[in-house]
Amino acid sequence: MLRGRILENKLSSLYKAGKIVGGVYLGRGQEAVSATLGTALIQGTDFFAPLIRDQAGRTAFGEPLIDCTRTYLGSVKGPMRGRDGNIHRGRPDLGMPAMISHLGAQVSVVAGMLFAKRLQGTLAGRVGATCIGDGATSTGAFHEGLNLAAIERLPLVVVVANNQFAYSTPNDRQFACADLVEKARGYGVGGFSVDGTDMLACVSVIGEAVRRAREGGGPQMVVARLLRLSGHGEHDDGSYVPAEARVDHYGQDCIEVAMQQLIENHFATAEEIVAWQDQIADEVQRAVAQAQQEPVPDPYQEDWTALSTRFPLDQPISQPIFS
Amino acid sequence: MPQLGESIAEATIIRLGVKVGDVVRTDQEIIEVETNKAVMGVTTLCDGVVSELRAVEGVSYSVGSLLGLLEVTEAELVRTGVESLEAIDERRVTTSQTAGPAQAESNLHFALDDDAYEEAPAVVPSVKGLPVPTGVMGAHYISPRMRARMDDLGIREADISAIAGTGAGGRVTVEDLERFLDYLDTWPSSQASPMRLAVADAMRRSWTRPLATVGLPILLDRLLDHRRNQSPKPGLTLYLLRAFALALTENPTTAGYLIGDKVVHPRSFDIGVAVQVEDGVVVPVVRKVDQKSLKDLVSEYDDLVDRARRRRLTEGDCRGGIATVTNFGTFGLTTGTPIPLPNETLILGVGAGVKKPVWSAQVEAFLPATEADLLLTFDHRVVDGGGAGVLLNRVSELLQTPEAL
Amino acid sequence: MSVTYIDAIREAQEKLLREDDRVFLYGQDIATFGGAFKATKGLAEKFPNRVFDAPISEDAMIGMAVGAAIEGMRPIIEMQFADFSSVAFNQIVNQAATHFYRTGMPIPLTVRLPSGGTPGSGPFHSQSMEGIYAQYPGLVVLTPATVSDAYHMLLDGVALDDPVIYCEHKFLYRWLKAKSINGDHLPIGQARITRPGKHATVVAYSAMVHEAVRAADRLVQDGWEIEVVDLRSVKPLDIDTILASVARTGRLLAVGEAFPWGGVTAEVVARVTEEGFHLLDAPPQRLNARDTPVPYHPKLWAAHRPTPESICEALRKLLSF
Repeated sequence: MLRGRILENKLSSLYKAGKIVGGVYLGRGQEAVSATLGTALIQGTDFFAPLIRDQAGRTAFGEPLIDCTRTYLGSVKGPMRGRDGNIHRGRPDLGMPAMISHLGAQVSVVAGMLFAKRLQGTLAGRVGATCIGDGATSTGAFHEGLNLAAIERLPLVVVVANNQFAYSTPNDRQFACADLVEKARGYGVGGFSVDGTDMLACVSVIGEAVRRAREGGGPQMVVARLLRLSGHGEHDDGSYVPAEARVDHYGQDCIEVAMQQLIENHFATAEEIVAWQDQIADEVQRAVAQAQQEPVPDPYQEDWTALSTRFPLDQPISQPIFS
Repeated sequence: MPQLGESIAEATIIRLGVKVGDVVRTDQEIIEVETNKAVMGVTTLCDGVVSELRAVEGVSYSVGSLLGLLEVTEAELVRTGVESLEAIDERRVTTSQTAGPAQAESNLHFALDDDAYEEAPAVVPSVKGLPVPTGVMGAHYISPRMRARMDDLGIREADISAIAGTGAGGRVTVEDLERFLDYLDTWPSSQASPMRLAVADAMRRSWTRPLATVGLPILLDRLLDHRRNQSPKPGLTLYLLRAFALALTENPTTAGYLIGDKVVHPRSFDIGVAVQVEDGVVVPVVRKVDQKSLKDLVSEYDDLVDRARRRRLTEGDCRGGIATVTNFGTFGLTTGTPIPLPNETLILGVGAGVKKPVWSAQVEAFLPATEADLLLTFDHRVVDGGGAGVLLNRVSELLQTPEAL
Repeated sequence: MSVTYIDAIREAQEKLLREDDRVFLYGQDIATFGGAFKATKGLAEKFPNRVFDAPISEDAMIGMAVGAAIEGMRPIIEMQFADFSSVAFNQIVNQAATHFYRTGMPIPLTVRLPSGGTPGSGPFHSQSMEGIYAQYPGLVVLTPATVSDAYHMLLDGVALDDPVIYCEHKFLYRWLKAKSINGDHLPIGQARITRPGKHATVVAYSAMVHEAVRAADRLVQDGWEIEVVDLRSVKPLDIDTILASVARTGRLLAVGEAFPWGGVTAEVVARVTEEGFHLLDAPPQRLNARDTPVPYHPKLWAAHRPTPESICEALRKLLSF
């Protein structure tokens, strides 16, 4: 959680310093949900399709910080090599597919990864998870994907972070059911609700959902209630979020809640947490420094092909723009 | 046999539910058939009596095949709107008469017979026969292909005007060109000099315009008298050059150049002079002829002509002229139709002087005089006969007072 | 004994299932029912747990296939009709097609699109989508016109590591028959000279190859020898074979069954004009379907798409230029 927050604060700062190519999208306020999911998954066995606000989950799942800074800063050494940016990065070979911007689209992809494992006879004990927001539950892709996963009874966990706003659109313009978790019943999948600002609750509920899926209980859907504590992206100040939403229970910062929970339950002392923060800040700074010194993509070195197959008779359709 | 599904070509009769003589009702399933996709029933469109059954159980029939016939009353046909067999036959006849093969072919795949389709053998691509231009980038209609081949060979439109075209609308094809060139190979030929090609190019480009030539006789005696007393002696052509320039200053647009909807006026009265050299003509330009006296022009003129003959002109020497003077009289010719350069509208030519009796009104008798033809060729888009006449008469007039030149 | 075009597609899938554990089939009604066109008839019985009925969720079907391909499978997805792939458009062009370029991991999935018109099929069961998919980088688009190509190109397509849009023509399913499947075949990306000629080149693909051959047969009586080029794959496009043919004939007509705005025929004409202008004796021509939805009534439908007749007319015009 802390790693995600500190890294994202740094990204925000780099964005404001003009160092970042493209946009920056933060998961501020969603770290408890995202990180507990990432922690409940086992890299190398499970699949995790993060979405826009899942830095904490990515880190918890095992994504190194350098993957993030390289992608944001456009280093050619990053997983996307400058061909795609920011939160669209992934490591499909390590069980973490790269999201596309079209919401809900990753649900069926994770289902397919699990389906492959079933066909290969290695599905037992494996889970696939993806995160989406309240807005994505309105898409056809979400419906189709969750329905398909339910039909195939795949161990898929869909965590819906209901952060109350899809960009600027509030819940009442997004769905008409009283609670999104009602949809789970309609799909025939397990449904859970959780306070997304409460780390311990998330550990318990999301952990339980992952366990059920892992044990053969079919798809599970967790709806976490929280508030996005940033704009849609760093270009957006979120001024449309009413003041009442910021001060009500779900407007609280999950990081602060988590710190308090750690101290109260004697998991860590305040001093230890400060020490963690310093250590993480240092790691983040090093990842940023390294990525900044690395080469950016060179249009002359690009092969400008979108296919892995080389067709001997196929001529380039037109000259590369930089030739 | 009805069309029982997309992409269905045929169906097999599984069971005949009726026999000849049976009474059938509308929408009754009377024949059970199996397609590649499903088993289904063939229904009747109206009430009637089975009069004939052609379908046999276990046999496949293509879509559109006749499976059997019903005997139906006229009233039933009216009630159900079903076409009678006679009506269908009649329509078939009329359709095939009016629409012909067009109709028959419009649904090609229905017309395919049951013979197994033979896949065509693969043909190995190769460019055979004609030398096809492949490396070039770059009469009437000349296609890009023809143009590319002509560019390959350095051939111009004018060169192919002698070829009888066999292409669409009589146009000359690459094949025609190749045949013509093969034919020419049976004639003796030699390589044209660069000078010849340069003149050819200039004349070809100039000839794209509507050129007209007018002329009048001039008397050279005063001019020759005047010349006799000069030192150094100006050439006859130089007199013409000077008179031409002065006349043009009075009518500058006559030498204008038409580009689109604009007449471009002379910027400076710089006039070229045609000098015959080996295998061609060059045209050095004498600058600002209107502003220099004949006397001053002599050395400049002689230098240009001398250098022209020795092929020592620079490119700049031949640039920027607005008109040209040519003295073909030096070849003993008395008349001609000179052609202006492509970038000029006018050319003034003069033939050889000839001794002639000329009527003198003063003494009322024929007197011997030296007469020559003065000719002006002009671009008729810019100048008309009247304008050309005014200019030519003025030149002639100026030549009668050589001391003023 | 003869083999139909759809037999060849079924046979190819059977061979793939038999020989490659990574292959599985996913599509609506394709398991015990055998598919709307019976292209998978009997396969579910022969290969239990390899052939699956899908929910009517075209988007999720492709998304699922992408996920399975990431994890090492080679899914073949049957769209019931090419027309319905528009519902899966996002997953095809944004997920599958961009994946290799973005992440370096290719997605070896094959989408079978029962394409093109048949009489009475109407606006939503007749579409030709190849041009739309060819427009997107990252997809291989195959359009077999013969029984043997239907067989070999499906095998070769599934063997590719990249996403393949396999456009099979519904009209050819049962009308097109061959005595047997040829043993030898051309690689993907190479066009075939179906019929040699010297006066004009017709570039066609899928069902239009047969219409073009019929048109060429008719023009023989007028002394015209028409060369017919079967593209086989519209992407990659074998421009070399097209240019070589135009070099022989000097005239080009591109024929396609898709809608007229842009598309494969426009690409062919553009490429030839760009790279082979000097080969042309006449302005290159295109002949496509009309710019309306595909009509339902067979009479309208037959006049909506190019026919041997309209191809002849276009060729006569081209030859008289």
